[in-house]
Amino acid sequence: MVLIGSARRSRATRVPPVVLAFVLVPLLAEVFWVFWPALQGFYLSLTSWDGLAAPKFVGLGNFSEMLHDAVFRTAAINTVLWLLLFGGLSAALGLGAALLLQQERRGIGFYRAALFLPVVFSLVATALVWQAMYQPDGLINNVLESVGLGGWKHAWLADQDTAFYAVIVPALWRQVGYVMVLYLAGLKGIDPALYEAAKVDGATRLQQFRHITLPQLRSVNAVVLSVIVIDSLRSFDVVWALTRGGPYHSSELLSTYMYSTAFQSLRLGYGSALAVVIFVLAFGVIVSYLVRAFREAD
Amino acid sequence: MTAFNATRRRFLVGAGAVGAGALLSGCVTQSPSASGGKSGGPVTLQSNLSSPQAKTAMQAIVAAFDERGDAKAELNTVASETFRTQLPTYLTSANPPDVYTWYPGSVAESYAKKDLLLGLDDIWEKPELSGYSDALKKLCTSASSGKKVFVPTSYYWWGMFYRKSNFSKWGVQEPKTWDEFLDLCDKLKSKGVAPIGLGAGGDTPWVASAWFDYLDIRVNGATYHRELLAGKHRFDDPEVRKVFDKWDEARPYFDPNGTAIPFQDATTALLQGRTGMMLIGTFFADAAPKDALGDLDFFQFPIIDPKVPVAEEAPTDGYFASARTKRADDVKELLRYLATAEAQELYLKSSSGTTLPTHPDAKDAGTPLVLKGRKVIEGAADLTQFFNRDSSDALQPTADTALVHYLAKPKEIGSILTTWQRSAQKIWSQ
Repeated sequence: MVLIGSARRSRATRVPPVVLAFVLVPLLAEVFWVFWPALQGFYLSLTSWDGLAAPKFVGLGNFSEMLHDAVFRTAAINTVLWLLLFGGLSAALGLGAALLLQQERRGIGFYRAALFLPVVFSLVATALVWQAMYQPDGLINNVLESVGLGGWKHAWLADQDTAFYAVIVPALWRQVGYVMVLYLAGLKGIDPALYEAAKVDGATRLQQFRHITLPQLRSVNAVVLSVIVIDSLRSFDVVWALTRGGPYHSSELLSTYMYSTAFQSLRLGYGSALAVVIFVLAFGVIVSYLVRAFREAD
Repeated sequence: MTAFNATRRRFLVGAGAVGAGALLSGCVTQSPSASGGKSGGPVTLQSNLSSPQAKTAMQAIVAAFDERGDAKAELNTVASETFRTQLPTYLTSANPPDVYTWYPGSVAESYAKKDLLLGLDDIWEKPELSGYSDALKKLCTSASSGKKVFVPTSYYWWGMFYRKSNFSKWGVQEPKTWDEFLDLCDKLKSKGVAPIGLGAGGDTPWVASAWFDYLDIRVNGATYHRELLAGKHRFDDPEVRKVFDKWDEARPYFDPNGTAIPFQDATTALLQGRTGMMLIGTFFADAAPKDALGDLDFFQFPIIDPKVPVAEEAPTDGYFASARTKRADDVKELLRYLATAEAQELYLKSSSGTTLPTHPDAKDAGTPLVLKGRKVIEGAADLTQFFNRDSSDALQPTADTALVHYLAKPKEIGSILTTWQRSAQKIWSQ
């Protein structure tokens, strides 16, 4: 131990230039393409800018405008709702599917593949497929009609009461398979001896699940939760492709509102301020979660 | 995830291409055959006309221009939505594309005010453009600098389109007045047809603005309409309220799917006879099957108040150029060519032929539909463009939200107009 340590220390004093280059060049690229634009975004959030004239400095004006902006409020509430619904359901359904499909049986691969298949489609393609299904004379309404539920027929994406939930479904449809695969990997890693021991002790299936499966999956949970939080705060493409945040902002998320204010209404300052809010939210949620997760792991 | 990955990958490819481009241009400047005087390379023509027919038509024009010798052009077709959102970036970049398809009037003016557009006064003196109508001359002149900044090449009209065979099957005729129009709607409804198609769903909510525009220019007149869109009146004024009172009379006849399907689907419904008529611009015919084209007809948006001078929506399309172009001479050469009767007829021949050329000598497609359209436009006391062209692209989303909201919750019109005014105010004040 001591030997290795001292060897490493002496080498650290004379870093070979190649190694230095391998660190510094990507760092420079990162600074130039990631950190610098990010900082500029922060600066823009303090300005009023239409993309043509020079930005006008307005201090915290954009942020104080948000406090009185009803659309911002809708978008923020929807984002939280999205996080809970999309996140909660995809974790629950993914775990459920993994538990159902974990045993090796004949043909199980087909079901796994079927659930995983949506993951390989891009979200925009997914959205297009679902858009066709949600059409007034699309598949869903036709099926409802044919099973005698014609009264339930609906312009799903054009009604402010249903648009938000209609948009969550394709996002979930795609996410569940992904989460399922993560959980399947986790389940495979559990030592079967634990279950055998539990069976000898006379534990029921529910008890096995509570006292063996769930605790053993803790590390996978951390991964799944980070993935879900990041994915849901980033959700944009599916909403944009299906409703563009409409009808009249009922399915607006912070991300779609940011895009439409910045690039459609060309209020780039206010759009940047919204981006800063999204950044703070995502960063806050993820950091606080990771800190807690690692503290528990220690 | 996919979107971000894709952009990153595309960026890398782009960066590679830029690098390669730099290398190539380095080679070009070193070669002795570089053309003197001009800063090399073809004029880039950035086009948002991405429908197959229009794209073919554009390619035909560029090929014909290249054949004439001297300057060369290169067509770069970009999806409409991307084009619109990227245009400010194009124009403010250090090395922008040279020529753009776009709109004159207030849309061009917002860029002209910031000195981003190439002044084109000299080519307007040349024979190709000198015969253009005074209205077009005025439309293409920047209000702030007094310079001409735009070359118009075609315009089209909006009207209530319908299928002749369907109207005769249902035993109905074109209405002239608002009351006749409502009668017609009643009759169609009694025959189980949705009288008015809309198509303000999907990604074309802006179609609803046509109804707002027309009702406003019929009730309050074109002058008031333009002033309203320029921020000189408020959207919660009683005059605007009157527009929606009229709309309320027609609303029960709208296709209930009006805000659920995009205009392309609404057009299909019209062609299949599921809806009776539709307020739309002639561009929809680009996608109509050839055999249906001859069966199409339209009538002028009904007159509501005979005292108000009749105005029509006739959006003009054409080109402007970046002020930062490095090939100003070639750019003007191309624009002059685009303004000729020859180029405009070439475009009409390759497209669906429902637009009208701006050159006085250029022949239009000559179909009865086009003749009728031309007559309506020429008989109008005033011409408007369209909501976003008379105001700005930035204001369009405020109209989309307000109008789609109105169609779903007409009783909330009071609060809708207040909200509309508030969001419009934010656009005007910046």
